[in-house]
Amino acid sequence: MMLLLRRARWVLLLLPLLVPLVTSNEYLVHSVLVKACIYAIVVAGLDLVVGYNGDVSVGHAGLFAIGAYTAAILMTKLGLSYWIALPIAVALTAVAGTGLGIPALRLQGPYLAVTTIAFGIILQTFVNESVWLTEGSQGIQNIPALRLPGGLDFEGNHLFYLVYGAMVLSLAASRNVVRSYWGRAFLALKGNAIAAECSGVSRYRYKVSAFVLSAAYAGLAGALFVHIDKYIGPSTFSLQLSILFLIALIFGGLRSIAGNVIGAVLVVVLPDVFNRFADYQLLVFGLLLLATLYLLPGGIASLGRLGTAAFARRRAAVRADAATMPAVDVPSAPVAGGVSAIATPPPAAAGNEPLLVTDALTIAFGGLIAVNGLQLQVKRGEVRALIGPNGSGKSTTVNLLSGVYRPTSGHVRFAGRVLDRAKPNDVSAAGVARTFQNPALFGEMSLLENVLVGLHHTFHVGLLGIVFHSPGARREETAAIARARALLALVGLSALADARADSIAYGQQRRLEIARALAQDPRLILLDEPAAGLTSGEIDDLQRLVELIRDAGVAVLLIEHHMDFVMSVSDRVTVLDFGQQIAEGTPAEVQRDERVIRAYLGSADESDAATPVETRDA
Amino acid sequence: MSDFAQLLLSGIALGMVYALLAFGYSVTFSTSRTINFAQGEFLMVGALVGLAMQTRLHLPYLGATVGAALAGVALGLLLEYAAIRRALRTGSTATWILATVALGIILRNAAERIWGTDDLPYPGPFGSDPIIVAGVRVLPQEILVIVVASLIMVALELFRRRSAYGKAITAVAADKDAAALMGINVGRVMTFSFIVSSVLATVAGVLVAPLTLVSPTMGTLLGTKAYAVAIIGGLQSGLGGVVGGLLLGLSEQFTARYISTGFKDTPGFLLLILILLVKPSGLFGKRTVRKV
Repeated sequence: MMLLLRRARWVLLLLPLLVPLVTSNEYLVHSVLVKACIYAIVVAGLDLVVGYNGDVSVGHAGLFAIGAYTAAILMTKLGLSYWIALPIAVALTAVAGTGLGIPALRLQGPYLAVTTIAFGIILQTFVNESVWLTEGSQGIQNIPALRLPGGLDFEGNHLFYLVYGAMVLSLAASRNVVRSYWGRAFLALKGNAIAAECSGVSRYRYKVSAFVLSAAYAGLAGALFVHIDKYIGPSTFSLQLSILFLIALIFGGLRSIAGNVIGAVLVVVLPDVFNRFADYQLLVFGLLLLATLYLLPGGIASLGRLGTAAFARRRAAVRADAATMPAVDVPSAPVAGGVSAIATPPPAAAGNEPLLVTDALTIAFGGLIAVNGLQLQVKRGEVRALIGPNGSGKSTTVNLLSGVYRPTSGHVRFAGRVLDRAKPNDVSAAGVARTFQNPALFGEMSLLENVLVGLHHTFHVGLLGIVFHSPGARREETAAIARARALLALVGLSALADARADSIAYGQQRRLEIARALAQDPRLILLDEPAAGLTSGEIDDLQRLVELIRDAGVAVLLIEHHMDFVMSVSDRVTVLDFGQQIAEGTPAEVQRDERVIRAYLGSADESDAATPVETRDA
Repeated sequence: MSDFAQLLLSGIALGMVYALLAFGYSVTFSTSRTINFAQGEFLMVGALVGLAMQTRLHLPYLGATVGAALAGVALGLLLEYAAIRRALRTGSTATWILATVALGIILRNAAERIWGTDDLPYPGPFGSDPIIVAGVRVLPQEILVIVVASLIMVALELFRRRSAYGKAITAVAADKDAAALMGINVGRVMTFSFIVSSVLATVAGVLVAPLTLVSPTMGTLLGTKAYAVAIIGGLQSGLGGVVGGLLLGLSEQFTARYISTGFKDTPGFLLLILILLVKPSGLFGKRTVRKV
């Protein structure tokens, strides 16, 4: 049955190739279908940026222009063959994509949108004014015909074969990319950039890559576009065209290959359909766009998905029900057998320097010194607690240690490496993983995918391997999925592997974060208030999980307010107040310390209530 | 020298029109975190409504301005109801961009149906003849634009800082939830901000119209450039919009005169990209620390 379906899909893919044989209607094939295929390539590329990266580009017409003009200029001015001009055009446009990708590293929303608009307008102006290169407003004419050896050609309706082939290949490639670890990196960055970086995903690399890939698609489409009229002029590549690409993407639906094609066909065909009332064309177009945005936010492709989604939802609901029932399907207790899922860190290289050493670590926000001269040490394989009243700088310390904040002064040394200026993904690679005080999961992704993002570092296959779905790529993916399942089992979330991360309960979110952190094969794991909001039963399970982690040889830095938990699980405790360390020792020593008691209770007079309790908890 | 002074004056006048639009962007951005891509079309509607008031109803320029302002109120309500409020529910940047783009497309097409596609002259209150001041040819309308725009912006800035309603807008801009808890009707403040912004656009239309020609496509590029101006100055800053507007208006006039008219928009947009790369929050914007 599956085989039959798969065959049917191939037949469906080949079917459009018959169109030029059935009809010789030049208008339908050459103007409508060819254009739709070319637009679909742009839209699929745009989807990588908008749908997967969550950034909006209103400048893709500029990239499209670079592809078209590069191909046209190389052919007409240098007399190069199209087959040489085409890859050059794609490569050059891809490089130009960094012009959008680098701003995207720093800008979001309206700020990035205006930058992309400026990018497009500057390019259009350049094309218009650089007469020596582009013939200015006259445009480039007489683009040579596309002939092949053996009397074949891609002229007239035959052009459809070329652009259709290019479209199918590029859509297949983008499908493989978005289903790979690249696609997960894109989505993770979109979902929560800081959490993605702390899970080992380089924001710099994958943001820019998304724009470069997207630009390559626009460049390819542009280079194909020159053959439609054998002429290109600057007025084509306007802001309006950039907006039209976005409209096509939204019409069709984000993150859907079928949607990309449907949207492209629609924006090409609709103006013709409305030809009868040409005077009101834009009005109808605008109303249609509004209607799509509000009534069908998932685009037309979501119509097709509604049926299957309803089915999937029902199944997921059944599983989720089972999951919320106490201790039936999802014991929150860690499964001891899953311990092997935690990678044992390599033994100490030499000497007995502690694993983590901070030296006079300090950060100031304006006048507020949140952490002041912290001297913290964590030894290999120990559970070190970091406690202190609210506002004492604990979470800031975690952010400093994980590379989210940069210290104002002082140093962080981890396993002999200096990590003062390291980016979060470099810190993760060095062997420090973390969880967040407020769970920072990738809500749109499944639990399994969340853990797979943590396993990002296990993937080494390059872009080509991904695009062609090489055996190496498949092997890495299979291994990672097996590992991710083992980690989910370890934290007792196996049954929910395919549920969306934003649909699970709070305590489950905390455990998922720990699984994602363990996936990074850390030598040190920073747990930022892992017990907050958990029931006492869940805390007992958490304690067992922390012990499992310690037994596997992974050191733990535990930030926590829950004192029973801290005192029973920690080897040593460090106490902070107002950004400074006020005590350090075994749990018993710390509990007796006068300064600790004062910090927690405000005054030494009430030393009868000696044990620090959660008095200043939020 | 007189050539230079003339360019300076035109640049400032143009810059003040950008500043008015940019001020509108900053008001609505602060309450809703969106940019109205139809702002330029609002300007166009203001100019065309004003023109109709003057030619058909024979109202004076001032009456036409009031008419345009009323059209602005209507547009602001339409914008907030039909495009922004629903788009914000989806939480996607692409949605509000395209919703406001759609509104702009609809307005442009409707204007073409009503007023035609021709460029129409707009009679200013002081005629179109330049007066000579100290050897410099000065268009009275340019002076009017500069004076009126400055007055409007000073008044609005005072309103924003001094009046209770202005402070409510600042509060909503800073923290919606906290503002709501303090008893501020966030929805109404947002609607109000869209009305203010749209009135600014339509009035700017009546102001700029005698200097340019009036047509359904007149607003698109103006709106886009004012968007750039707002970003250059810093979306959260009123003064930034004025400085950004003047920078762009002057750079345009001088580039057109001394380099090439084709490149007149380029310096402004290059400036935009440079500023954003160096200081993403704009010249006068405040940096915010990201919290985890």
